[in-house]
Amino acid sequence: MAFLAPAVIVLGVFFAGSLAQVVYLSFTRYTAFSGPDWVGLENYSRLLASERFWRGLLNSGLYLLVTPAIIVLSLLAAMAVEVRLRGMSWMRLALFLPVVTPTIVAALMWRLLYNEDSGVLNAALKGLGFEGIRWLSERPWTLISAALVTLWKGFGFYMMVFLAALASVPRELREAAALDGANRAQVFWTVTFPSIRPAIALVFVISSISALKVFEELFVTIKGAPVSHQTVVPLIYQVAFEEGNYGMASAIGITLFVIILAFSVVQLKLTSRGERT
Amino acid sequence: MPSDVPMIDRRPVWSLTLWYLVAALLILMAVGPAIWLIVIAFQPPGGELYSLKGGFTLDNFRAAWRDGNLAGPLFNSVLVTIVRAALNVFIAALAAYPLARMRFRGRDTVFVLLLATMMIPEQVIVVPMFRMIVGMGLYDTLIAVVLPFSVTAFGIYLCRQAFLAIPDEVEEAARMDGAGSLRIWWSVILPLSAPTLATLALFSVIGAWSELLWPLIVLQEQNKFTLPVALNNMLSQFEANTRAAYAGAVLSLAPILLLFAIAQRFLKAEIFGGAVKG
Repeated sequence: MAFLAPAVIVLGVFFAGSLAQVVYLSFTRYTAFSGPDWVGLENYSRLLASERFWRGLLNSGLYLLVTPAIIVLSLLAAMAVEVRLRGMSWMRLALFLPVVTPTIVAALMWRLLYNEDSGVLNAALKGLGFEGIRWLSERPWTLISAALVTLWKGFGFYMMVFLAALASVPRELREAAALDGANRAQVFWTVTFPSIRPAIALVFVISSISALKVFEELFVTIKGAPVSHQTVVPLIYQVAFEEGNYGMASAIGITLFVIILAFSVVQLKLTSRGERT
Repeated sequence: MPSDVPMIDRRPVWSLTLWYLVAALLILMAVGPAIWLIVIAFQPPGGELYSLKGGFTLDNFRAAWRDGNLAGPLFNSVLVTIVRAALNVFIAALAAYPLARMRFRGRDTVFVLLLATMMIPEQVIVVPMFRMIVGMGLYDTLIAVVLPFSVTAFGIYLCRQAFLAIPDEVEEAARMDGAGSLRIWWSVILPLSAPTLATLALFSVIGAWSELLWPLIVLQEQNKFTLPVALNNMLSQFEANTRAAYAGAVLSLAPILLLFAIAQRFLKAEIFGGAVKG
């Protein structure tokens, strides 16, 4: 099975092997200087008492709010441009630009817009007579700033998913409903929505999982803000590679994994139920 | 209303205008920040970041190149991206061949187990991956950046789907002519799956070019940095470097834009396929 060997070795060692190790390491005292030494549940009990861990989880929870925003906005946009008009393929192409933009570049772009003294956003707010917003230094604005970058980057992709789903709704069905006197809202809720519900569920799971895994958007966009503004993954980076506490970072990783796994199980259920692509 | 505009339903003029306005707004939101970044990167230093003084300079790019030492990272990023994309396609296509077209015990189990690694997020296992890299003596090397991501379960899945679609007769004919498995894979299966392999290569290029977290963890010396790590590092230094960092960001965006422009026709057909065709 020489064909399979490279893939099995790489994925087996670095992914499956790492997963087994991270479970073990989470039960050890392991720092940049010593260990790993088995300490049982010590890391976990210290996590439960750690304020910044809970703050990180809370921030991740808040960050999940990006998911409903993504669903509503990208679905509305998909429905708005679903009509086939001239030049629409160019618009779709434009919306795909953020999807392929490297996240760090996206973060830098938005950092430029968010600059509290001289960014465009605060200039506009001040021009309208409002106070500037402390996008990069005041909670919850820091989280919102980062979430907007996630939204900007993901929007085009999710819109494509919804466009594909909308294209599969039988047109005759909608036209028949409209002929029967249903107004636009009624057509949406009785015909369109039930047909695209699997797509909505899929987007819900995918975008929730990527929101839980978010790193660059926070690490780069709000660089300089205190760690209490960060979600779980930047916290793992901080604890492991800036403080050298590998055991603790592994325990935080396992906690995150369990949460992500719950979403993954939902996704598996969804994808195995329908034959959607 | 021009009659050559294809529409699925008839709408009054005000409605059409509204749709075009929505579309214009979406385009502005999507490309606006990128355009602003490019404008600022070419602005002369001094003054506030949002003020357009006019004028055009390459000073920020010179500063990025000289003070930010971006030449090395740019080279490293190109190298890492090309190698990782090539390996991604090569290893995934290798693995997908027996999974799609051979019969052996445990085949489906192997496939499911490989796929299951997709559910293990990189962010969760950075500590043990880092530990392995250090243990292998690969810390602070570009090999460390590529190795764990030289193949992905997603890539294997994609290739397997493409290989499954190839009719058995094609392979049988080649076998009658005396070709071995490796030869069939190389000269029959791969050419027939070219669009899928190209798609996978495109995804891999974008992923490798953009990756920050992992290279940030395994690279230490400035001359080993990839572009995203170098940009992140410039940002951690002084505010004075800000414009240079934005120039660097433009350097990071440019190849993607170029690739995007080249692949644009292909993208329209492959990715937007179902949605674009009327």
